[in-house]
Amino acid sequence: MKELFVLAEHRQGELRDVTFEMLTKGVELSQKTNADLTAVLLGHNVEKFEKELAHHAKKVLIIDDARLENFNAEAYQRVLFHLISERKPSLTLIGHTAFGVDLAPSLAAELNLPLATDCIDLDFEGEKLVVIRQVYGGKVNVKASLRKSESYIVTLRPATFEAHEPKPRDGDIVKIASPLSEDITYKRFIEYFQPPAGEVDISTADIIIAIGRGIKDTENMPVVEKLAEALGGVLACSRPIVDKGWLPSDRQVGTSGKIVKPKLYIAIGISGQFQHISGMKNSDLIIAINKDSEAPIFRAADYGVVEDLFKVVPSLTDKILEEKH
Amino acid sequence: MNVIVCVKHVPETAEAEIAIHESGKRIKTENLVFDINEWDDYAVEEAVLLKEKLGGSVTAVTVGPEDADGTLRKCLARGADRAVRLTDKAFEGSDSYAIAKILYKAIKNLPFDLILTGAQAGDDGCAQVGVVLAELLGIPHVTMVKKVESIEGLVKVERELEGGLEEIMELKLPALLAVQTGINEPRYISIMGIRKAMKKEIKVLSLKDVGLTEEEVGESGSWITVEKMFIPPVEKEAEILTGGVDEIATKIVETLRAKGLI
Amino acid sequence: MEELSTIRKLNFNVCMQCGKCTGSCPVFPKSKLNPRRLMLETAYLTSPLTMHPPLNIYEKSEVWDCTTCSTCSYRCPREVEPMDVLIGLRGLLIEQGRVPPTLGDALEGVYKYGNPWGLSPSKRSEWAQDLEVKYVSEGEKAELLYFVGCAASYDSRAQEVARALVKNLNTLGVDFSILGNKETCCGNEVYSLGEKGLFEILVEKNLSLLDQYGISRILTTSPHCFNAFKNKYGKDLTVQHYTQYFADLIDKGKLKFPQRVEKVVTYQDPCFLGKHNDIYDEPRKIIENIPGIKLVELNLSRGRSVCCEGGGGRMWYDIPGERGRLAETRVKEAIDVGADILAVACPFCLLTFDDAIKTTGNEDKIQVMDIMELVAEAFLPSNVQCK
Repeated sequence: MKELFVLAEHRQGELRDVTFEMLTKGVELSQKTNADLTAVLLGHNVEKFEKELAHHAKKVLIIDDARLENFNAEAYQRVLFHLISERKPSLTLIGHTAFGVDLAPSLAAELNLPLATDCIDLDFEGEKLVVIRQVYGGKVNVKASLRKSESYIVTLRPATFEAHEPKPRDGDIVKIASPLSEDITYKRFIEYFQPPAGEVDISTADIIIAIGRGIKDTENMPVVEKLAEALGGVLACSRPIVDKGWLPSDRQVGTSGKIVKPKLYIAIGISGQFQHISGMKNSDLIIAINKDSEAPIFRAADYGVVEDLFKVVPSLTDKILEEKH
Repeated sequence: MNVIVCVKHVPETAEAEIAIHESGKRIKTENLVFDINEWDDYAVEEAVLLKEKLGGSVTAVTVGPEDADGTLRKCLARGADRAVRLTDKAFEGSDSYAIAKILYKAIKNLPFDLILTGAQAGDDGCAQVGVVLAELLGIPHVTMVKKVESIEGLVKVERELEGGLEEIMELKLPALLAVQTGINEPRYISIMGIRKAMKKEIKVLSLKDVGLTEEEVGESGSWITVEKMFIPPVEKEAEILTGGVDEIATKIVETLRAKGLI
Repeated sequence: MEELSTIRKLNFNVCMQCGKCTGSCPVFPKSKLNPRRLMLETAYLTSPLTMHPPLNIYEKSEVWDCTTCSTCSYRCPREVEPMDVLIGLRGLLIEQGRVPPTLGDALEGVYKYGNPWGLSPSKRSEWAQDLEVKYVSEGEKAELLYFVGCAASYDSRAQEVARALVKNLNTLGVDFSILGNKETCCGNEVYSLGEKGLFEILVEKNLSLLDQYGISRILTTSPHCFNAFKNKYGKDLTVQHYTQYFADLIDKGKLKFPQRVEKVVTYQDPCFLGKHNDIYDEPRKIIENIPGIKLVELNLSRGRSVCCEGGGGRMWYDIPGERGRLAETRVKEAIDVGADILAVACPFCLLTFDDAIKTTGNEDKIQVMDIMELVAEAFLPSNVQCK
């Protein structure tokens, strides 16, 4: 029976959300193509994940090795090269995450199997695997087909596919001996590092005021800081603000930052590239303020204001303070 | 330290209106401004910073049409010593895998300690070329690099994970690093600087020069074939609030009050 | 250093370090910028003498604080031209890539998109969509070219000035055209930022456009564009700022205002009309000719006028750590002399004062209007809304 692999992604003792998003899609695809859904778990002392993965997949393959304790693409690649060559799954799903981008392309090149990255949808049209990707910052979608192969590799965009509670099942847990024989010395994981940040965790905030390039200069921050204060919310941002060093990286909303689901998300001066939208689109109420009527953010928001933020925000702050007193 | 930087000449689309070409497989580019891929800009700056600190040379390489010279000139003006352009009609339709193969052939016989690329390209966002290239060259790689530190024969990097977390990795040279935006502040390149860079030579190589066959590049050498490009369907459309600034502010406050947010 | 040749050409060796430049620099009180000391330091650059402590000219980032108001050059008793020396230093820094990022972005915007905000050229003439305008780029020839400028083309507040100007010209039956989306930055701020290479490209581009469309007379919204065309393009172009054109019409008795505007108005002399080009009377003539207007002078006016802090790249750069621009003081001055309206003749003054009125909370005490907006009101009140 053909297998469909989903590579479980975990970090610092927790399975990451993208794993379940992939497993849910994996259930759908494995049913359609009559394949067994197999979760692949690599790590060290990761038994605690076994049961949970077994709820979703027909089989859970576990390879435990001290060398796999902290993610190292080289070690993962060696193991997966071995697994995929031996078991020839029809498809291997990996998250398009910091892990995935480090691992998938070189794995695919070593196996010489076709790879499509950062996909927002995929399907088998007969034997042919077809994917949907986004290009030009999310302004254009692409439907692409992969070169015919017995085995494909695809990385899926996180926070895009829904993760559902599976129909209860109890997959087989299969432990496989690690094929790793030596330490990998030419690429070593040293340690995790949390850059100095504030006391604020935006992922737990109820009200988020997010700023983007439209703020133009760090000197203009007080304009939005006052609004955040008036609403009792926290300040977050899109990537360019972090790149410029105006806010610490733990304030970044997006696929490479944090995924947030607050009660209120006000996007100010943010154009709305997909990397950002993916990070906030499930917020309860989204209000976007941007001078550009064509900004993609308006396709993710509930309410839009096409106006100069430097005019609207101060007025809004004043009215909120009035309302509160 | 000899550094090779792989760069891409891409259209700027963030503020532009995009239209799909009649073929349905690409976008219309006549009215778009092309420039160096944003991630690669950071990579070039990082390469030059390393050269300024440690000596050595920087070579910029690109696969693209003649227009890509504009991007190579920027690299030369920034401080690259040499530039190589790989151009051939056969290269058209190449995906990340095919591009990596072309770069591999051009680079494999050049002396280098480090290869830098941007983590992804602003146009297709595949984030594959650098890593595939590293695999073909048989050198270790790290992506999403936020900081580079060179120690004897080793390079220590800070790598960006999600949610503000980072990890530190150490690699033996030669290695490939795919850098993330924000790793440095790319310095301004003046027009006079670009003019001076016009004097430096850009080496142009073709399919034959790199010893590849037509089947290995273009669509036939790719993993992915574009079937069609389309403007994504509008799933949601924001209700645009109208009126003067104060009217709009009042409407927002009413909405927030109604939802119990104030 | 090749770039030093710009500085060597200047006569700063005759500087007697009197300090009049620093004393009159509007930015000096809140910045590290000290024109007098800068002249001394630059002199050392090109002489065999050395400074102690050693000077690293590449660390003089305060040169970006300058607004190029030219008060220093205006006051210098020895014609040292400190402002030009400063621009030369900026040129040195530009060649090293040492520019504050927002200024680098503005320059890139001009290079790639023809305007410092990096906005699409296809939107440049959107402001004129519903107006009666001839587009010289579509073969509609006219006697006069109205050169709109980047600010009036793209900024929503400044666009109102362009619209008022066009309506006024139409009311007067003037035959004019605009370049439409073919118009590109005049380069005045590019020049002030020291980006010589980019400025040369703009000059070439604009001169070839003027040639291509057989343009012989230019009218500008902005004193900055006027200054560039008149003084920096190296050609004897027939260019006027709109205040000169309209004052001319008054002299010829061709300007009659049917409506009264009952307001007390004060006028800000823009640096690029006043100190740079000695144009003081024409704007006042226009204002005074509008029936009902009482013109009062600011305490510091004409040659003593204080810069709004919009020029020299300052629209895209804030002095680090600064809160509050000179424009705020000027607004308060305007209120003090009893004005209802602060009249301007430059889009940068318009925008900086508009902001300053808001940040000082004086929206109900005073408003800023461009002279063209006042004129439009005096022609037909429905043209412009006096808020």
